[in-house]
Amino acid sequence: MQRTRRDILLFMGGGAAGAMLTPAPWRLVTDAAIWSENWPGIPRPARGEITARYTNCALCPAGCAVRARCVAGQPVSLAGVAGNPLSQGALCAFGLTGHQLPYHPQRLKQGTPEEAAAAVRGAMAKCGAGESVAVLDLAPGRAASWTYRRAMAAVANGVYLAPPPPLGGAAVNLAKARTVLSLGAPLLDGWGTPGNVHAARANFRLIQAEPWESRTAALADEWLPIRPGSEAALALALKDPKTAPSAAQATGLTEKQILDLANELTANGPALVLSADDLPEALALNHALGAWGQTLVARPEVPVPDAWKKAAPERVVASVPDNSIRVLFIDESVPGSHIPWGAIEKKLVRDNPVVVAFAWTLEGYGRHAQFTLPTAVYPELTSDIPPAIDSPAATFRISVSLVAPPAGMADPSAFIAKAAGIDAGNALQERADAIHKSGRGTLFTYADGKSTPLKDIKPDAFWKSLNEGATWLGGAEEPLTRRRGDAEEIPGELPSEAPRLRVSASDTFPLLVAFTTPTPATLSSPLMSKLYQDSDLRMAPNTAALHPDTARASGITGASRAVLETQYGRCAIGVIPDESVPPGMLEVAAGPEILDICGAFTRAKVVAA
Amino acid sequence: MPFLAGALAALGAGWVGFPHAIYKSRPQPVDFSHKVHAEKAGTKCEDCHAFREDGTFAGIPSLSTCAACHAAPMGTTAAEKNFIDAYVTPNREPDWASYAQQPENVFFSHITHVKLGQLKCEQCHGDQGASDKLRPYQVDRISGYSRDIWGRTLFQSKAAGAVPGMKMDDCVDCHRKQGLSHSCLDCHK
Amino acid sequence: MIAANKPNKIARYGMSIDLDRCTGCGACMVACAVENNVPPAHEGATARKGITWIRVFKVDNGEEGPARRSVFVPVLCQQCGEDTPCVHVCPQQAVEVDPATGIVGQMPERCLGCRYCMAACPYHARFFNWWDPQWPAGMEKTLNPDVAPRMRGVVEKCNFCHGRWHAAKERAAAAGKSEIEAGAYVPACVESCPTGAIRFGDLKDAASEPAVAAKDAHSFRLLEKLGTEPKIYYHSKRDWVRQVAAAPKPPNGKENARG
Repeated sequence: MQRTRRDILLFMGGGAAGAMLTPAPWRLVTDAAIWSENWPGIPRPARGEITARYTNCALCPAGCAVRARCVAGQPVSLAGVAGNPLSQGALCAFGLTGHQLPYHPQRLKQGTPEEAAAAVRGAMAKCGAGESVAVLDLAPGRAASWTYRRAMAAVANGVYLAPPPPLGGAAVNLAKARTVLSLGAPLLDGWGTPGNVHAARANFRLIQAEPWESRTAALADEWLPIRPGSEAALALALKDPKTAPSAAQATGLTEKQILDLANELTANGPALVLSADDLPEALALNHALGAWGQTLVARPEVPVPDAWKKAAPERVVASVPDNSIRVLFIDESVPGSHIPWGAIEKKLVRDNPVVVAFAWTLEGYGRHAQFTLPTAVYPELTSDIPPAIDSPAATFRISVSLVAPPAGMADPSAFIAKAAGIDAGNALQERADAIHKSGRGTLFTYADGKSTPLKDIKPDAFWKSLNEGATWLGGAEEPLTRRRGDAEEIPGELPSEAPRLRVSASDTFPLLVAFTTPTPATLSSPLMSKLYQDSDLRMAPNTAALHPDTARASGITGASRAVLETQYGRCAIGVIPDESVPPGMLEVAAGPEILDICGAFTRAKVVAA
Repeated sequence: MPFLAGALAALGAGWVGFPHAIYKSRPQPVDFSHKVHAEKAGTKCEDCHAFREDGTFAGIPSLSTCAACHAAPMGTTAAEKNFIDAYVTPNREPDWASYAQQPENVFFSHITHVKLGQLKCEQCHGDQGASDKLRPYQVDRISGYSRDIWGRTLFQSKAAGAVPGMKMDDCVDCHRKQGLSHSCLDCHK
Repeated sequence: MIAANKPNKIARYGMSIDLDRCTGCGACMVACAVENNVPPAHEGATARKGITWIRVFKVDNGEEGPARRSVFVPVLCQQCGEDTPCVHVCPQQAVEVDPATGIVGQMPERCLGCRYCMAACPYHARFFNWWDPQWPAGMEKTLNPDVAPRMRGVVEKCNFCHGRWHAAKERAAAAGKSEIEAGAYVPACVESCPTGAIRFGDLKDAASEPAVAAKDAHSFRLLEKLGTEPKIYYHSKRDWVRQVAAAPKPPNGKENARG
């Protein structure tokens, strides 16, 4: 049979017409539409039983109580614990995304613990007279911190270093305050425990003296826009009215404003003065206003086992002679205050110092250390959290491991204890037992929201509760014993890593750096990009805003990148011109690089990239 | 003539070949009989397909539910030995495929339908509990939906006694009849 | 699609936001993203292309120097109850006002991606998925199973955490009730606000906080004059804040550069 082209076309036409009478094409259209809703690359959330687990946030010293909503054991969202006496059910933006940190793309996954241990052994053997082995602990007061102190006591030439305690180690009792003068302290934006601050906020008048309209200034009862760097002069004049004329000149306020403020602080007490940089002048003013014992209190120490008392004293980096540290361990597994690397580096010996950093990201000191050993990160790690600055009572709470850490993570306290030859395997539970033995205070458990006197709880139950989410609160019946720095010492010298603010601008570094955001010393969740990339609510890390005039004077008009320079070094930053920033100032969103050259408060200059 | 041949070929392919080709089939991991279990282990569906304390539905029971009885072989069949050796002893969850798994964007609350709506399991799932064998799990190659969602036939069967599908139309049909709310976000998430 | 149904009880969920308490911390924004499976910013995302169901804006009084005053304003879908603009323009019937709750729902499955609704929305509260959602490796483990991730090419917006509404309904059903009790259902932003600035409840329930706030003399709604009856009430005792909100233009005639 002869087949023609026409036949083939007819066959195909018939096929098409026939196909229309079958379900196939219609079904394919439907399926393709459904497929487009689930095409590859769109993840499917895991399903499973939904439970609540409790822990405490380890991302800053506030240590807010956390309820984690878990699906098949995996935390999928975090919330505060209502009724918690200090954190009051609040969490900040950083805390709300803490459960995502283990999956941060910048996470450190591998290290060389054996090589590090060998190098440490070699260097410790070589450690001569006048040289030291040191631990730098960014979050002092933990059980691990005591392990470091014991380890350094066991090692010849051992030194335990920590950042200087804020307010000289005193605690703030905001509930007692009627008037709060904040010299640039970010009281409503990351200072202390957010829930506690907001709960106390209704009961005090807040006066914010700050050059720019920060988040705190925007919501203060009164904002005093002072000139950059004049905080100390204002504090001095409030204590000693004789200096009011010169303070008026320095701050840009009128003499009457200063005298009125001084009167208000005395008349509407108890008053409290806070400053961004722990100015000695502010502490002296507190002393003069009678804040001691009222709004500033000596917090009792959290008990430790007697066997731990043989411990190295706490020292600040500045107190160590230059070029004297041969072996330095830095624990940044739990975020804490940041000390500029330049301040640390000059303390290291010149020939082959060994620096071992324990970190979960390479963004911190790991960039400078010979060995960076990866650690667990919140909420994987298990660590206690020292009392918050605004907790007048001693507290003990544990950040519990909610997610199993990946394999190969180093435990800084085990590593350092081993290097020093001491046994500290069970430090956390030993400390819990010591607290239990003291018999004081109450235990607030999160799952049921109940407070129970400690003497009604058995030691095992105490330990179990702490691991399931609870806070121990030392009661008021505790004797006011020692604390770091006595009241009499306060007006005098306070150790600090950062240079003091000065009224006079220096020619080399004309600009004052002020941090706009609560400064996480390490990375935060990638989701925080909602706040600085998907919106303009905050600035991206390592970005600075400055007045267009300042930008012009620095020769960076029109550019979005520049270089920030301080006495410790330089780094690349993004710049945003903003007329709301006063001239002579840089509003900076910290990032690891900026923190490394800036410390808490410092002077800087910007130059074109 | 060629036109008719083409049409017939397409009709054959579309009605006979396509329904087979569109579904990918895989056997269930364990040769399980609902019938035997209904007689010997539990009488109600909820005995194994339980609700959790918070009211959510746990779905297919986990191995621990099975192992409560099957810690050691119960009987001498090959299927039983396979189940013990492959799953119970190594404590490995069987990779069950859920015939009625709804797509990701659907929220379905069992307890609302069972407790508030007083529906019987069979009304949606058919007489699954009386089956002696697990049929192979069939999944649409393109959309990834289980065949049971669509219904057993390519067109929805409205014949009396047929197991209904679990498509949106099927849900809305019933909600309409009962005069219940059926706005989008009632069921979509 | 306006569904003709007969819910047992008709609620009108609404919100009140106390601007005098908002510190602009951003907790609501990240809590919202965590709850609703909104991914971290794509590398190409900007403040215009990002997805922020709730976004906090910084608004000032237009003055320079020491006279400058700022306020933080969280803006989310205002859940317009009357002539809802996005519902009217949608060619796909992918937007509906739920008769039972008053919540304006957006159906990504039906959405065509034409973005008419984004143009129609007076509040810029709708967002387009310019990219497929992507999480860093491993982070998809933290996704919320109560909310389905959306695909590229569709619009999404705040739906008062509908996943939580489902969960609350299911809990109520488990207790044998067909209605949610007051307080058993709150969106993530409300729960996360550290200062308690955002309150949530049924506007039909005269005792609920938004219903009380709605009657306050210091309360206002954004673009109230459009007559769309939004269900988000803002509150500020500061006169200038209310004046700025009512003004036809930003105070200095230009939009704020940051936020």
